[in-house]
Amino acid sequence: MDVESSVPGAGSPFVNRIMAPGDVVLDLTKASNVLRLGSGLRQDGDNIAMTKVGRLQFKKPNKYWVEGSQKRYIPNTEDVVLGIVVDRRFEMFVVDIGGPTYASLPMLAFEGATRRNTPNLQVGAALYARVVKAHRDIDPELCCTDASGKAAGFGPLNGGYVLECSTGLARVLLSKPTSPVLEALGKSLSFEIAVGMNGRVWVNAATTATTILVSNAILNSEFLTAAQQHIMVQKLLQKSQ
Amino acid sequence: MAMGAMRMSINEKQFIETALRENQRVDGRTPFDFRRLVINFSKDDSAEVQLGQTRVLAVVSAQLVQPYPDRPNEGTLAIFTEFSPMADPGFEPGRPGEMAVELGRIIDRGLRESKAVDTESLCVLAGRSVWAIRLDIHILDNSGNLIDAANLAALAALLSFRRPECTLGGPDGQDIIVHPPEVREPLALSIHHLPIAVTFAFLGDGDLLVLDPSLKEEMVMGGRLTITVNMHGEVCGVQKGGGVGVSASELMRCLRLASTKAAVLTETLKKVVEVHETERAQRKIRRHHNFTALSHAGAIVDTRVTEREVEMDDAIENTTVTESKEDTVMLGTVKVLEEGEIRHEDGASNFKQNGEDDEQERVEVHKEEKPKVALLTEQSEIMFEGGMSGWVDTKSTSLKAVGKDSAHPLDLEALVEFDKVAKGMLKESISLQEKPREVVATPLQHQIQGSQIAAATVYAKLSSQHQDKASRPLGPIFPRSSDVEAMEEEGLRGDLGNLISVTAETLSGAATDPSQVTEAVPIDTPLNLLAAVKKKVKNRKKGAVVKD
Repeated sequence: MDVESSVPGAGSPFVNRIMAPGDVVLDLTKASNVLRLGSGLRQDGDNIAMTKVGRLQFKKPNKYWVEGSQKRYIPNTEDVVLGIVVDRRFEMFVVDIGGPTYASLPMLAFEGATRRNTPNLQVGAALYARVVKAHRDIDPELCCTDASGKAAGFGPLNGGYVLECSTGLARVLLSKPTSPVLEALGKSLSFEIAVGMNGRVWVNAATTATTILVSNAILNSEFLTAAQQHIMVQKLLQKSQ
Repeated sequence: MAMGAMRMSINEKQFIETALRENQRVDGRTPFDFRRLVINFSKDDSAEVQLGQTRVLAVVSAQLVQPYPDRPNEGTLAIFTEFSPMADPGFEPGRPGEMAVELGRIIDRGLRESKAVDTESLCVLAGRSVWAIRLDIHILDNSGNLIDAANLAALAALLSFRRPECTLGGPDGQDIIVHPPEVREPLALSIHHLPIAVTFAFLGDGDLLVLDPSLKEEMVMGGRLTITVNMHGEVCGVQKGGGVGVSASELMRCLRLASTKAAVLTETLKKVVEVHETERAQRKIRRHHNFTALSHAGAIVDTRVTEREVEMDDAIENTTVTESKEDTVMLGTVKVLEEGEIRHEDGASNFKQNGEDDEQERVEVHKEEKPKVALLTEQSEIMFEGGMSGWVDTKSTSLKAVGKDSAHPLDLEALVEFDKVAKGMLKESISLQEKPREVVATPLQHQIQGSQIAAATVYAKLSSQHQDKASRPLGPIFPRSSDVEAMEEEGLRGDLGNLISVTAETLSGAATDPSQVTEAVPIDTPLNLLAAVKKKVKNRKKGAVVKD
């Protein structure tokens, strides 16, 4: 959402604070430039107000958004998500990404896909995709390639285990620098994971025991500090030996 | 599948089965492990069971109705289930789905058809009036295995439920008078045995068996089997609805497993209910208005509260102030009443949430060399019923006067004793249930005797009997000779029984004159119901190790 404003002014004083829905974060009459509003904010006449609970974030020069944690995922463009195929229709797959509606994934949105050569995904297959179109009034659309057409890790996922977590935890797992729990696990175990912003994580390792250990460690780490996460991982590793 | 229900990918299904073939479950359990079980009670006697992430609430209520014509001597038990849409995205509000009906039926069969709840004792007037017991089960959070959790919640609620006592009266003896709980102690239901439901899930092609399935395991399972069995090994019900076939030998194996698990669960359930009973008895004590009462409503087995309980030491030591400062960790103290001043406690802010050493002030008990005693205080409500105590003319007494020459010399010490006993009972039950922790040092649990528990019961029974202000004798309610027989029937130990009869005799004379005490009780010690017990407690305390 692009918002015009006419009066020069300061940014919101509430950046990096946790706010509740309905709180006014910025008075548009005081804003100086065009603002980009991300998820969780909307324009309410002359104000910008919160629609989600979460922490208000700001990125220069003009982008505001809200980072909250909940179980229900609201699709946003350019999010990476983990979906599960629900149905196969003419020219597209219907994919469940945990949002309010199912998403559609065109059959051609894979690397090297042509009309003759379409991917053969079964109902129930897990895949890693990114959200191309997301608006509150339409069904979201996915794509299994990056912007240049290469696979880049997107596409169907084989084997492994999918676990559900909250959107806040998923965001932490995707952030840089690497989340402490992943770092601690990576030091002693080898595994691969794919994290979707919709609160789903795919874990794959050589043995089932490792997979179970990694998935439980990730789930436990949500409310722990970095030091506690390290200790928790150490304890789990010790118990498994 | 409905849009609302959760989706499973093929990856997950295959992974769960592969892991099970290696004897591992996705949440780290072994195939025959139950998840962590927590049972909480709240003040209205509703029971909430948490089995892992699954949460179920059960509450019991009773009503007088006309009996069924073909069973004029029996009361009824009806079970209602409610699957809240908050619990699972697949639950719809409105008509109960198939799962809800099945759950209600399994629990109903376990309780009614095995005659676990005695319906004949619910009859008040044959053919005219019986008690109809209504059990409401609310599913709060579905994370697999609702049946077992709901069954445990139902049993816990039934065990803790108390129905009002009613007698026949009126001009022709046909009117039923229902006594309110303040007038007559409500009665427990008559429950003969505890049928425990144990659920198995069959995965793979029916060859993989797990106990207490989690939500994901339930979504990929091929069949489910629920066995309701009690701790004596009597099978009260078997439910297998559809799904993969199960061989007879497999069924017998499940029966044996269920029997073992049922014994363990029954033990846990009984312990938790017992702790709740002690709490309830504690709550009934009418306290002097100067002391905020002690109660631990709510979480018993919850580890958070347990930790708090454990850190909280038996601060009621008969030692000097300096010693107790080093040795004990106080949870909070009662504010000191200045000389000649009355501060009417409204109970607020005496409770320190983090259990630190907040020794601000002590209660000044006696002016003589009797050491200071600190009381444990608790949450900000006063737990006696009906507001301020009517025993005492509050304006003219001061805490300073509490001593051997006051109107009720025993109040403080008796209360302190009772609290110790109850606390010890609670701690003992809790420490038995929890894994051993390094910080635990409960010397008190070795000191619990039958007589102390009996004393606690005495107080619970006494304080619940109603007396109006005019007829109440001065001072706290002591056992009268008519009560002595009632108590002896409970099988008290001999020494306590003697003491009670001694006290009863002495009280029949002038209440406040200690010189009429018989030679059994030394003159200078204030009349204390628990004096004999207390001596034993004191001796043991010398050898007790206090943690720190």
